Amino acid sequence: MDLLLDFVIVGVSIGIVYGLVALGISLIFSGLDIVHFAHGELYMIGSFLGIAVISFTGVPYFWALIGAMIITGVLGVVVERVFYRRLTRGGGGYTVAGMGMIICGFGMSVALQNVAYLLWGAAPHPYPVSFGMPIFLGNIALPKSYLYILICALVLMTVLHTFLTRTKLGLAVRAVAYNKDTSYLMGVNVPVMISLIFGVACAMAAAAGVLIGPINYVQIEMGYLMLLKAFAAAVVGGFGSLPGALLGGILVGLFETLCAGYLIASYKDIYAFLLLIVVLMVRPTGLLGILVKVKA
Amino acid sequence: MAERAAGQAASLRFVDSVERSLARLREIHPLMPWVIAALVLAPLPWLLGNTYHVYLANFICIMILLSVGLNIVKGFCGQVTVGHVGLYAIGAYTAAVMSVNFGTPFWISLPIAVGVTLLAGMVVGTPSFRLEGAYLALVTLGLGESVRLFISATEYLGATNGFSGVPAPRIGEFRFDTYQKYYYLVMPVMLLGVFFSFQILRSRLGRAFMAVREDPVAAAASGVNVRRHKMIAFMISAAYAGFAGALYAHMIPGYLNPRNFTVIEMVTLLLMVVLGGLGHIWGGIIGAIIVTIVYDITKDYYHYSLLMFGMVIVLTVLFMPKGIGGIIDRFIATRRFIAIREREAARARAGGAASGAGERGSGDAA
Repeated sequence: MDLLLDFVIVGVSIGIVYGLVALGISLIFSGLDIVHFAHGELYMIGSFLGIAVISFTGVPYFWALIGAMIITGVLGVVVERVFYRRLTRGGGGYTVAGMGMIICGFGMSVALQNVAYLLWGAAPHPYPVSFGMPIFLGNIALPKSYLYILICALVLMTVLHTFLTRTKLGLAVRAVAYNKDTSYLMGVNVPVMISLIFGVACAMAAAAGVLIGPINYVQIEMGYLMLLKAFAAAVVGGFGSLPGALLGGILVGLFETLCAGYLIASYKDIYAFLLLIVVLMVRPTGLLGILVKVKA
Repeated sequence: MAERAAGQAASLRFVDSVERSLARLREIHPLMPWVIAALVLAPLPWLLGNTYHVYLANFICIMILLSVGLNIVKGFCGQVTVGHVGLYAIGAYTAAVMSVNFGTPFWISLPIAVGVTLLAGMVVGTPSFRLEGAYLALVTLGLGESVRLFISATEYLGATNGFSGVPAPRIGEFRFDTYQKYYYLVMPVMLLGVFFSFQILRSRLGRAFMAVREDPVAAAASGVNVRRHKMIAFMISAAYAGFAGALYAHMIPGYLNPRNFTVIEMVTLLLMVVLGGLGHIWGGIIGAIIVTIVYDITKDYYHYSLLMFGMVIVLTVLFMPKGIGGIIDRFIATRRFIAIREREAARARAGGAASGAGERGSGDAA
């Protein structure tokens, strides 16, 4: 029973991190109708930037989180402006990039991974923070970082949700996601909004990277698996739905942790793909049943 | 200006003469160009001399098989699959397991490997019925990655230590145990593969693939069974991957490692097809040759290779969406166009006196 509870707590915490990355993927998808294939790499770079911020300035963990989010957000905007803009603009409005965008994102992903390799090397990096003694819940020793994940992720989600639903800028973002041409006519600066969407999504990925850092080692290969798992989370929850992304993330995390715990542990990374494939085959619209836009 | 025009005219003459001589060869026998190609490629190991370069030639042949297969499903049928390396790994490991653990000779393990890869291709192809674009890309990526993760976590397949001791193929007492000898196994298979890809793509089947790529609804309305053709495309490309994998497994030193089937190989493969020209009949071939050679030349800078490859993919997609094949096509088309214009101008100057001359070639350029 304790073991099960332990798995559930770990699964939910990991799942929330997946959910954060999935949120970014979902946001970009609803805004631009493309799947950003290099998103996992931005998560990885965000994680490394967190380490860099801590080791250069010595600020506490929380400020490193904010710093990494800002830097990665800016990086995301730059990548979008310099590289993707040509593709997202091609073919009328800002949509329709099709295969080009997928291949381009794939290329960008390996390029970014290589940049990270040149900067930080291939060895796994431990996170230079310590949260002290774990908390004891009955017989379970729970590292405090799980608690931090839970709190930070919930705060971030709430902030994002409030931003999207309560502010004028958020309204503009939603308008762009709904229809770009109409938004243009209504005076929304669509290119800036698209950059904003990219920046916010990348900042979310960076937050996920910094949050998961103290649990796992940080290494350059981690972005790639994260992309697949976050995509699985986004699909399970229903693509384009932000609460769905969180829910999907938690489900993927739970499924993966429980399967790894009770079935063969060394196949841990395969379970998420199985879930992804099964959901796509059985119910492509996801659990929350958002209508799938088939454009990209 | 005059020099440039002369150069252009010369290049056009070259292209035309190549095409004319190919046509003449085909008149003798449809297979004649292929026989010539085999004869031209046959002495390559002697010309290269260096064993390492012969190894490279073998590797290029295997890569051509892979990328030609990928081009069929991706370029011609328009299905974005990025898990092709997984199929290649399945082919390689099946052949290896068959010949090491079950002791079958290469000539039996090869068809078994191709068969297993075909089945795997059907599995990869099934999601394409319901999914498109990015969804399909991620599912295939997930399947491909699952294969690698499965291999590196399974002791039976050697896990991360790799799978060694795959014997070289043999006919009677003759063993293909050097790169020079292996070349004569790989090269004919590669030529056959390219030949079949040309046959497929220029047939009714190939046109149906392109119809599916351009618009599945319109294709279905014109009587193309979209699902069936998607599945066939996936299966054909999987068969190519199976051949490539089995040939790779049996090439000396007969050693396989899951590290040879990672995302890096996937990107290399993607780059081959994209750079050569997605949906161009020569695309996979041009790309495989260029990328393998460039990869080898820049091996000293392998730290930067992914950055370079990634950026080349991005820039190719941005600025040259049809790849090198597309540029060559456009070049030829432009030259033809200019030639026709000049011919017409000349005819106008001559007052229509020379009516019959220069008529040749204008028909197929139109």
